Amino acid sequence: MMNKKPNRTGVAVAVIALVTTGWWFIGPRTPATWTEADLALLQSLSIDNLPPLSPDRSNAVADNEIAAHFGHQLFFDTRLSGNGAVSCATCHQPERRFTDGLPKGRGVGLSGRNSRSIVGTAYSPWLYWDGRRDSQWAQALSPLEDPAEHGGNRMQFVRFIGNDPEYRASYEALFGPLPDVSDTNRFPETAAPIADTDASTAWESMAPGDRKQINVVFANIGKSIAAYERRIMPGPSRFDAYVRALLSGNESTAQGILSNEEILGLQLFIDEARCTECHNGPLFTNNEFHNTGILSFPGDLPDRGRINGVRLVREDPFNCLGEFSDDPERACPELTYARSGTELIGATRTPSLRNLGGTAPYSHKGQHDSLASLLDLYNRAPLAMIGHNEVEESLGLSNRELKWLEAFLNSLDAPLATEPEWLSSPP
Amino acid sequence: MRKSILALALVFVMSLTPLLASESDDSWLTRSGYYRVSFESALNPIVINTIHVWVFHIRNPDGSPVTGATISVTGGMPLHNHGLPTDPQMTREIGNGDYLVEGVRFHMNGYWELLVTVEVDGKRDTVVVPLDI
Repeated sequence: MMNKKPNRTGVAVAVIALVTTGWWFIGPRTPATWTEADLALLQSLSIDNLPPLSPDRSNAVADNEIAAHFGHQLFFDTRLSGNGAVSCATCHQPERRFTDGLPKGRGVGLSGRNSRSIVGTAYSPWLYWDGRRDSQWAQALSPLEDPAEHGGNRMQFVRFIGNDPEYRASYEALFGPLPDVSDTNRFPETAAPIADTDASTAWESMAPGDRKQINVVFANIGKSIAAYERRIMPGPSRFDAYVRALLSGNESTAQGILSNEEILGLQLFIDEARCTECHNGPLFTNNEFHNTGILSFPGDLPDRGRINGVRLVREDPFNCLGEFSDDPERACPELTYARSGTELIGATRTPSLRNLGGTAPYSHKGQHDSLASLLDLYNRAPLAMIGHNEVEESLGLSNRELKWLEAFLNSLDAPLATEPEWLSSPP
Repeated sequence: MRKSILALALVFVMSLTPLLASESDDSWLTRSGYYRVSFESALNPIVINTIHVWVFHIRNPDGSPVTGATISVTGGMPLHNHGLPTDPQMTREIGNGDYLVEGVRFHMNGYWELLVTVEVDGKRDTVVVPLDI
């Protein structure tokens, strides 16, 4: 039997290698310095790069103060529903960044998808996860008649505005006299084009001119709500302060604004993790539609997403090209040149990453109850249940790197850039 | 001797410069050599997430303008396996070989390829235009 002495040098080398490797994985990491190209990309993500809001030519009262106050009242008014208990603020709660904390919205019934935040949506050419509406005002109309959400009907809403003296005064100051709907033979109690309902039968029985009068008031309700929503904007976060300090050459100030972990997360965000491919620009969204292999909500068929949304927005009578738009030129390039095609099967709209804190669960049906869970999915890049996952291969990030990414995402939380008076129910 | 070789090499490289310049003049010959295609973007520099219009210039290989053409534009990001976010359309022939194409938008930075098809009286040809956004 051979009695071999341990080789001391060999053991020492092995120990040093083990410690060095271990240190690489668990030791503190110092972020690399930014290149010029990195700084340009960081600047493009900064809220200082957010352009002034373009006018909404389809909505003549979009920037009208009276309309914003009127819309503010309507937004929080539960009488604008079938059961008197649901308002826009039921699912879009200011204290939750205008979301509701639920996987799917709950109004009169259970909505089909997760309630998206309305913060900064005035910048988006598309609304909803599938982009089935193309303006804030057209979007605001849709839940009002959805049987699972407000569960009302437009005839009811027109009467409601007319019967409330304060609302009638606001409406008529903005849009002129309300139509006289006292003749119930011409204007039934309940009427709206909601598929397979008595309201729909009543709506079809109305004269086309009378239907148009009701549609005009209904559209104006949406335009007033949009005038309010247009004011809900994100504010500068610690990330923005960091970029501002970096760009003005104050490296040491910048270091005090974000932690090492957050900076490491930011470096992954713009590079290895490929997040800026979709989450780009100062709102961290390209407002486009992508299939990222998000799994279906348990018990639901896979969501067809944009492939249906593009058809629905074209059919919407309240779209930018429709007769209720206030733009005489009908300049609607986004809608006119919207694309379709199989690539859009299962694609949903990229959400902004500003203010994710307090807005869980995430994804179009709230499938992910935490950012960690969502980041894990992107890291694995599973095959899509329907259509094709654009993220074709795993990102290969470690758990530690995923935590850095999450830390960075949380640095985008900030108070809204909206006066507090707009962030609660009006007095 | 060495100096004269260097001088000759320099002359040779300089003689190539016009060729290189014409290739980098941002115009592309279609596959079958029927048309030369170039474009100007109304949004310059091109930035992501902004819909805008382009003017395509279509020339014959001899440089004369091509009139009466129909242009179609598709494309995408080959590395990402997805297409353009919009469906751009030629909306007007401006004249002198110029054509207005509306509805152009890019939603990611990176390498794009546009497939431009030009057709005049049934004579169709295509070219891939590379584009870094």
